[in-house]
Amino acid sequence: MLVALCFLVLFSLGGGIWGAQSTIGHWTGELFQGICHQNPMRSYYVNDLQMAVNSRCFGVFIGLLIGWISIPLMLRAKVKKNLLLWFLLLAVIVQIIDFAGNLIQIWENSNLTRLILGGWLGFATTSSVYDLFQTNN
Amino acid sequence: MIEEENNEVHSISFGDYIPSAAIVGAIFGLVSFVIGLFFGYQQINAEPTGSFFSPIMFSGIVVCLLTSVAGLLAVWHFTKEVSQKIKLGQGAVLGFLTGAIIAVFSVFLSEFWILVIDPEYSEKILSATIANIEVMEMPESQKDAMIEGMMESLEGGQSILRQLFIGIPVSGLLNLLTALIGVKLFAEKVEESF
Repeated sequence: MLVALCFLVLFSLGGGIWGAQSTIGHWTGELFQGICHQNPMRSYYVNDLQMAVNSRCFGVFIGLLIGWISIPLMLRAKVKKNLLLWFLLLAVIVQIIDFAGNLIQIWENSNLTRLILGGWLGFATTSSVYDLFQTNN
Repeated sequence: MIEEENNEVHSISFGDYIPSAAIVGAIFGLVSFVIGLFFGYQQINAEPTGSFFSPIMFSGIVVCLLTSVAGLLAVWHFTKEVSQKIKLGQGAVLGFLTGAIIAVFSVFLSEFWILVIDPEYSEKILSATIANIEVMEMPESQKDAMIEGMMESLEGGQSILRQLFIGIPVSGLLNLLTALIGVKLFAEKVEESF
């Protein structure tokens, strides 16, 4: 799982790290075209090429990885089980509010805010299952 | 007693995953295909507005969100039909399988649509998307890079195997993650040793 998430983050960096001329049309771009709109105005750039996913999706992937790595820490800290489920639910609601607010032009979100909110969602997703790793010993 | 319960968990065979993964995967594969098609034809028939919030973009978001939930639902179905007790790793397998079936189902439906129903669908959707990009307010270099990439992608052609090779890992991984949440929500806690 850890390896898969590392690859997910690595591949989401797009064609820039593979010496491609464009991410759209490159295999990294194709890998994520079904799940991300890959809007260049909403993406970060690596080596002058847009990443294979937009800033929110990249945030989600980074968050998933950090959340997974944090599971041992949460087991030690004995975080309340259901707290993280509420944390996840809140993250989903905030994404919807952020997306809707931007869509109907109440506010304009930026790459940074999308990255942070996406990261929150990703972190909440993987960390919400931490208690399943708990043993009685 | 505890041993019996653990045996029940361990005795789950690969075949036990298939009904839940197939039913949920097929439903979500079909739904995502239909949604993609619906928004695709909206894009084809719409005037290019230059808006980032084009039908095809909505399609991507809706399909992504919708199909990600399939792993969770597959676990729910499994706990109802096969066993209440499912371990984290078993949930992960079920989620990945579900994602893989969604990818397979949507690819084959798309191929069927393009080969039998509307052979010009890919070209029409590409033309409509390019027309929309051309009137977008963004630097010309970015527009050119996007259009060039799309053209290369179409010219290169995508075999069914390539589409599956590209579609299964990401769809499988996303559903694997939601399946883990499904295990937390729907399964009875099983004592595991890590």
